[in-house]
Formats: sequence, C-alpha cells, structure tokens
Amino acid sequence: MAPARDTPFRSADMSMVQLYISNEIGREVVNALGELGLVQFRDLNGDLSAFQRAFTQDIRRLDNVERQLRYFHAQMDKAGIALRKLDLDVDTLAPPTTTEIDELAERSQSLEQRVSSLNESYETLKKREVELTEWRWVLREAGGFFDRAHGNVEEIRASTDNDDAPLLQDVEHHISAPEVERSFSGMNIGFVAGVIARDRVAAFERILWRTLRGNLYMNQAEIPDPLVDPANNEPVQKNVFVIFAHGKEILAKIRKISESMGAEVYNVDENSDLRRDQVHEVNARLNDVQSVLRNTQQTLEAELTQISRSLSAWMILVGKEKAVYNSLNNFSYDRARRTLIAEGWCPTHDLPLIRSTLQDVTNRAGLSVPSIINEIRTNKKPPTYLKTNKFTEAFQTIVNAYGTATYQEVNPAIPVIVTFPFLFAVMFGDLGHAIIMLCASLAMIYWEKPLKKVTFELFAMVYYGRYIALVMAVFSIYTGLIYNDIFSKSMTLFKSSWERSRRSSGTPTTATPFGLDWRWHGTENDLLFSNSYKMKMSIILGWAHMTYSLCFAYINARHFKRPVDIWGNFLPGMIFFQAIFGYLVICIIYKWTVDWFAIGQQPPGLLNMLIYMFLQPGFIDTPLYPGQKYVQIGLLLIALAQVPILLFLKPFYLRWEHNRARAKGYRGIGERSRVSALDEDDDAGAANGRHSVDSAGEGAAMIAQDLDGDDDDGHGGHGEEFEFSEVMIHQVIHTIEFCLNCVSHTASYLRLWALSLAHQQLSAVLCCIILIIMEGVSAMLHSLRLAWVESFSKFAEFGGWPFAPFSFKQLLEESEELKEYMG
Amino acid sequence: MANGWSVIIGLVVVVAMAIAAWFFSPKGENQVLWRSSIILSIASCFLMWAITFLAQLHPLIEPRRSDLRKEYIHH
Repeated sequence: MAPARDTPFRSADMSMVQLYISNEIGREVVNALGELGLVQFRDLNGDLSAFQRAFTQDIRRLDNVERQLRYFHAQMDKAGIALRKLDLDVDTLAPPTTTEIDELAERSQSLEQRVSSLNESYETLKKREVELTEWRWVLREAGGFFDRAHGNVEEIRASTDNDDAPLLQDVEHHISAPEVERSFSGMNIGFVAGVIARDRVAAFERILWRTLRGNLYMNQAEIPDPLVDPANNEPVQKNVFVIFAHGKEILAKIRKISESMGAEVYNVDENSDLRRDQVHEVNARLNDVQSVLRNTQQTLEAELTQISRSLSAWMILVGKEKAVYNSLNNFSYDRARRTLIAEGWCPTHDLPLIRSTLQDVTNRAGLSVPSIINEIRTNKKPPTYLKTNKFTEAFQTIVNAYGTATYQEVNPAIPVIVTFPFLFAVMFGDLGHAIIMLCASLAMIYWEKPLKKVTFELFAMVYYGRYIALVMAVFSIYTGLIYNDIFSKSMTLFKSSWERSRRSSGTPTTATPFGLDWRWHGTENDLLFSNSYKMKMSIILGWAHMTYSLCFAYINARHFKRPVDIWGNFLPGMIFFQAIFGYLVICIIYKWTVDWFAIGQQPPGLLNMLIYMFLQPGFIDTPLYPGQKYVQIGLLLIALAQVPILLFLKPFYLRWEHNRARAKGYRGIGERSRVSALDEDDDAGAANGRHSVDSAGEGAAMIAQDLDGDDDDGHGGHGEEFEFSEVMIHQVIHTIEFCLNCVSHTASYLRLWALSLAHQQLSAVLCCIILIIMEGVSAMLHSLRLAWVESFSKFAEFGGWPFAPFSFKQLLEESEELKEYMG
Repeated sequence: MANGWSVIIGLVVVVAMAIAAWFFSPKGENQVLWRSSIILSIASCFLMWAITFLAQLHPLIEPRRSDLRKEYIHH
C-alpha cells in the first residue's frame, strides 16, 4: 500500500519502466526527459564497447564542435576578449532541432577555418615585423660601429697585418670617408652583422673566440626595447652584434656559427649611402607590415567578439546534445522495427507526468506511431530518491555524506533537522555568539540570490549550509538563555533564588524558573556545580537521542514487514538499553527531586551506584531509595536475558522460515540446485521459471535475459542463497556491537559537557569572532559525529544506491567544463 | 512559585503544544517534515529546560564567593 504521494519521510516509490520510442523522435524524447530530469536510464548495451554503439558517430561530431568552440575560447583569452556568460536563471535555451545543431556544426567549422587562417597570417606578419625591426636596429647600430671603426682602422689593420702599418699610415690621413669604407674591403676585412638573444651573447662570444683563435673583432650593442618572439608571444632581450674578420672562409664560419646559435644575420651595406637607403626601405616595409597587421588583428577581434556573444550558449547546447546521445547509446535499437527501447528507473508518482511528456513529443512530431511506456516488475533493488527542498537540501547532504539510505527506509535526515542543530547548540550555548551567528545566517538567506554567484569556495560552503546555520543559531539562543551566558557574562533576568531565601535557611525553597541561576557566575565552586549539571544533562540528552533513534528501527521493521526484526532486534535491544541507561536516567532525575538536606540523608553518588550494579550486584553503597538492591538485581538479570534473545532469535527464525519454504518446494530464482548431477534439467527448469516470472509485457524475453545475465550495475538483489553461518556471524557481530555501543555511545555524549565547558571557558579569553568560527566548527563536527555514529547506528542500514536521473539541470550544475560559461 | 510541580505543568503544556503542532502543521508533502521538526524542537527544548530546572531544585552546594565583602553577600 503506497502512500498517496512521496514525502521526505522515506525515499520515493520507484518503478522500472520500459519505453518504446520511434527512432525518429528518440532524440526529442530524451531531450524532453532531460528537461524533466526524472528518469535514470539503464545501460542495455553493456556488452558493446563505446565504439560499437549506435550514436557514436554523432557524439564524435559533437566532440569536434566542442573542440572548435574551446579553440575559440582559447583565442578569445589570447586576445583578451571577455566571454558573455550565460545566466541560466535569466536566459532559457529552447531545445534545439537537429538542423540547428547541424547549422551550428557547419558554422563553427567555417569559423574555425577563418579564425585559424587569420591567426596564421597574423603570426606570419608578426614574424615579418619582428625581422624588419631587428634589421632596422642592426642598420642603426652597425652604422654606429662603422662610424667609430673609421677612427681606428689603422689599429685594426695594425693588428691584422703589422708589417704594412707604416706604409699606409700617411695615405689614410688624406682619404675621405667613403674611401675609408671601401678600404675595409680593400683590406680584405669582412663583417657579419645580426641580432642575438642577450643571454646567449657570452656563449656566442666564447665559441667564436675559440673556433677562430681570436682572429676577430666583435662589437655589440644592446637593443633597449625587448622584442616579442612571435612563436610564443614572450618578450626577449636582444643584442646587435657586428663581427669583423679577415678572409672569406672565416666569415662563412662566423655566419654558420651565428645561425647555429640562433642569431639572425642581416644584410648591411658597408657604404653609408646605401645603408641610408636600406634604412628607408626597411622603415617603409615595416610601416606596410604594421598596417596590415593592425587590420588583421581588427578583423580577428571583430570575428571573436561576434563569437563571444553566443559562445556560451553554443557550448551549453553542445554539452546537452552530447549528453542526449550518450543516453541514447544506452538504449537498445531494434533495426528491423526502427524502434528504440529504453529501460530506466523513475519515481512511481511521476509516471503520469512522464507519460504526458512522451505523448506531447510524439504529437508534436506528428507521428502516427505512438510512444509506449510500460511499468515492469523487477526484483532489482530500486535506487534511493530523496526529494529535497531549499531548506532540507543541506541537511540531506550531510546525511548523504555518510551513506545512501536503503530504499524506503526512514530518511535519517528527518530527525537530523532538529537533533543536529540542537546538539550543536548544547555545546555552543552563548546568547551573544548565537545572535551574531543568527545575523550572519539571516543575511545569507535575505541576499540569497546575489550571494549564490559567489564562487569563493569557503564562502560557498557556508552559504550552502545557511539554513543549518539558521536553525543552529536559533537553538543556540535558547541554550544561551538556559546557560545564562551572553559573551560569557551572566544576565539577571530573574531574581536569584539564593538571594530570596538567604535569610531563612541555607538552601533555597524555589528554583530559578528558567535557566541557570546567575548567582553561580564567577563563584569559586561554579565549575563544581556546572560540571555535575552538564554531565548529567549530557547523559539524559544522549539517552533521549538514542532511544528516539532506536524507535526508528521499529518503524523500519514494520515498514519492511519483518516482524523478526522487531522481536529479535528492536525489542531486546530496547529493553537492554532501558534496563541500564533508562534506569540511570530515572535515578538522576529522582535524585534531583529529593531534598537531601530536608530529610537529613547523605545523597548517593550515581556513578558508583552504576559501577557497583555491575561489579557487585546487590551491594548498595549509599541507598537512593528503599528496595534498591532487588530492583537493580532484577534489572541486571533482565538486561542479561536479552543477550541470548538478541543472539539467537533472528538467525534461528530465519533458518526455520527457510527450511519451511524449502519443504514446500519453493526455490529461489536463479538459485542453482546443489543436490547432485542427477537432475540436470533443474537448471533449465529454473531458467524457464525465470522467463515466466517476468512475462509481463512484450519485452519480457529481453528483460529476463538481462536479469539472469550480467548484473551490470551491481544493484541486483536476486537469488541470495540462505547461508545459516553467515546470518549467525552477522547477528553475533550485531549483538556484540549493540551491547558495547550502548555503553560507549552513552559515554560519547559526554562530549556535550566537555565542549560546552570548553566554549564557556574559552569565551572568557578569546576574541569573539575567532571563537565563533573555531568553536562553531568543532561543535559542528562533534554534533555531526553524534548524528552519524550514535544515532544512525541504531536504525539506519545505509545499503542503498542513489538515484541519478538524466537531467540537464544537474548536468549543467555538476559539469566542471561548462562552469566557466555560466554566470 | 516554582517548585517540583512546574515540571509536570510544563510537560502538560508541551504535550498540548505538540498536539497542536500535529494538527496545525501546514498540509502538503512536507507535512511530515513540519510535524517532526516542530514536535522534536519542542521536546528538546522542554528537556533542556526541565533538566536545568531540576538540577537546581534541591542544590547540594551553594554558590560561594570569597572575593566579595561580607556586607555584599547578605543583600
């Protein structure tokens, strides 16, 4: 009997459905279902590799488009053009038709060619520009060398051929400048001029010196502005060099060395007139190149700006389209009937919606063939689908961080919504700190929309838990009032009970109506009192929390119709727990209600009482009430009596049930007979039975085949053989764990006391904001542990697998690649 | 004014509140959420108050300050 609708109390009812879609509208149907986000498709082609599937070609084509789009993005980054991000809250993208996708593919193809050819020519031009610039520098600097060189031609010559030195000396005094220049060649001195990276100069010089044995004269000058390397767009510092040397072969050698060192050698004329012409020519060419370069760049930028407007939308469209084809690849394609058959999980209550969506798509396409959706029976374990809203989402997330609840068991997040923040507040109780926290969480909720866009990770995390913070803050205000703490000062809201009764007697007759008496604040024995109070409070709260959690085990057992879990697990466990810790809690409360001074008796220590109850049953140190001895022995016996029930009831009941079923001749589906090799037909019989079980619709053969074949996603739950030893071992572990955990988990709740004490003591010393963050985080972690371990271990199985429907919304939220395209 | 019976009276009030919360929770698929959260909150808060109240009902020790002058203590 399913409830009228899904509630957050359990995971939604799920159905396995089968879709029969005409091949022509497969894409449109999946698109519509993706927008709906309610179906999780199963892979029906597990035996086919990714390349053999029907729609691999389409995916490949889309991959190519995606690559092109990414290329545009990279080019835009390089050119510094901002991308127009797509805000999915504002812009909605209509589902594209096939022709639109084709157009997009064609367009991006042609755009890619255009952009890459523009880029290529831009790079060539840039290279040309750099060369020309270098040449200009060489001309300019080399000119300087030559001018300086004229002054000391004789020195050069003197160093080259010493013998003739005096003969030519006076001739040179009379010849004019051009003749001097010519005299270089006359002297058979040649030169090589060029440009080299500055960091290579030293090595270059050394190599030249060694290979030519010093027969050279090298001049260099630094180029003040760095030149841009067109290959990688990085600025490089370069030097101009001019090397003079003697003899053609040496010059050729120098040229070769320069080239191998990565230097650019430029042609410079010795004649200053010719050089001047060269400079003019270079300048003119440089101007031409630069203007062409500017044009190219402008065209490129215009093109990219054009693209940048719609790149995000394209990217998202392609991403969605790819997801659609990936889903289609999971479908089984019947070539003969041109139908696609899909299988998947969907929430039972959303079936009508899915059906009408399917109908709409079919009608819109104007097909005469209807699309069919069939609910099929299966013994596979359905996925756990827990619906959340804005408020419960974060709570559900902290539960899911521990595990996925079993299908249809009580959603552990339901109690967590209150218990987690409340236990936090018990540790964080300070009115002042709580108010700051409340303001912060309210601010986050008030500016919910604008703050959603903040991508700073730490903030995004806090923002995600804003509703948790709100509830935590509200409870902390309450506990702050109870503890009477505001920034570690006390408030005098009520008259102190100690003040009123001071005159009459030593003890007050009435207690403070709400919270701790402010009189305790700052006294010598404050800790003595608050330790006793908080320790007992931790025990009582822990007991309440665990008892409450244990009750869910009963609800689960009833829902799954497993009475043995009630009689064999829940009831003995509950009795065991209450006989020991329920009794302790009653004693604590009873001790508080007795006025020990008035009756003139010594109050007993409860800790000792509990210890003696186990170690020396029957021994009472200081009596709490008459007849205590017999009550305690009785309780102890009751608790001990539960252990064998816990241990044996469930396994033996299961064995009896199994044997009874066997005796009647039932056999599990897929269970192989182990009787002997005599009845070999048993196997075939089982297979036949399997077929008949699932013959619900036309596709029965296929489903059945799928069932007994590979359990592809590993969630199949059929044919588990009954193994008594396994059940027994499991139950022994469960019993030991449960009994020990009753003790250790109760002790674990003492962290409530420890942390609230630490918070109170630290807040007297530390700065407020640091304290809130530090203590808040630690209290949260401890509270989280109490929820995960102490509470969940009492009832939740966490044996489910999460429902992951095919949904565009989820796809876009989770995709790392598409994140940068969305605003 | 505040003696041991306060806890019982408080319990009655809290149970009444819980029953009211059960019936006046907003209808819809989140009704179970409202009921569970409100009743659990009421119960937790009551428990905390009752514990604090009971712990001070018949205190075994009294607050002691040695840093105050005798005259202040008796006012």
